[in-house]
Amino acid sequence: MNTPNNTIRLLVTNHNTASYNMALDEAIMNHVKDGTVPPTLRLYQWNPPAITIGYFQSMEAEVDLEQCKKLSIDFTRRITGGGAVLHDKETTYSLILPEKNQIVTGTIMESYRQICGAVIVGLQQFGLAGQFVPINDILVNGKKISGNAQTRRNGCILQHGTILMDVDVKKMFSLLKVPDEKIRDKMIANVEKRVTSIKHQLKKDVNFRQVCNALVKGFEEHLHVKLEPGQLLESEKEMARELAVQKYETDEWVFKK
Amino acid sequence: MNCIIHKVPNGKLLKVFLDVKEGRIDTIKITGDFFVHPEEAIEELEKHLCGVGIADIEQVVHAFFEQRDVEMVGLTEESLIQVLKDGSRT
Repeated sequence: MNTPNNTIRLLVTNHNTASYNMALDEAIMNHVKDGTVPPTLRLYQWNPPAITIGYFQSMEAEVDLEQCKKLSIDFTRRITGGGAVLHDKETTYSLILPEKNQIVTGTIMESYRQICGAVIVGLQQFGLAGQFVPINDILVNGKKISGNAQTRRNGCILQHGTILMDVDVKKMFSLLKVPDEKIRDKMIANVEKRVTSIKHQLKKDVNFRQVCNALVKGFEEHLHVKLEPGQLLESEKEMARELAVQKYETDEWVFKK
Repeated sequence: MNCIIHKVPNGKLLKVFLDVKEGRIDTIKITGDFFVHPEEAIEELEKHLCGVGIADIEQVVHAFFEQRDVEMVGLTEESLIQVLKDGSRT
């Protein structure tokens, strides 16, 4: 598709299920690969709340599935590495572009730094000073507010990440397996000291729209690009619906490890 | 099955599930919150390690990565070898 080198399609797809969200990232990547759509930034949320685990994690070893069912929490596996995440009150982004591009360049670690830099400029819109801490975290006042994960497939870079708008560490831990039940409370207290959210920092609620606006500014400024609001192609939606059912909802994928 | 948990220095948490029978790796599952590109390399490594004798683990892992263009983030060959050896011994 002929678009200027510095233009990125912006999609705000609101909230979807875990399988559809992960399927849509993959469907967009397949279309970017073919050149049928331009590089894309998608901003989205999750309904119902969902746990995703990293590509290399074991669902049974990491997640309490009984508890997920009890609390109506969705779950699936990502195509990206990294850790288990509870996607609840957050804004999620995915940036998908060909590996050969002039926007995000360099090694994997350098590209994490560049893309996380855009998120950090986004956080600045709320007056928050974010800090990139390799490998893949963004901290505010020494606490994690954003986790990020990248894959490189089909000649594309796909990086998705979360920006916590609120966080409930107790809920998160009720859904994750811990090595020793006796230290669950200690672990919760420990993680509560290390995780934060926009709400915890600002002492007020922010909504999805506000975070989207801040991120648009962050990505445009930091990556020197123009974000152009666009639409999903019918073929992207169709591929996403197929991948959701045929991949991200199957036991074969979810319990692959 | 043995489960060995290892924090990779400056990296991520590696969890390996391992069964050894008659001095050879019988079943193996390499899991964790690290990144490997391409991701499928880890499944390939698991296949390569099945049936490998404990004494040969290090050589097999080195040879595997020498023959391929694999990039690991938050995980190292040394950590993998250490955990595989520890897991085979216990």
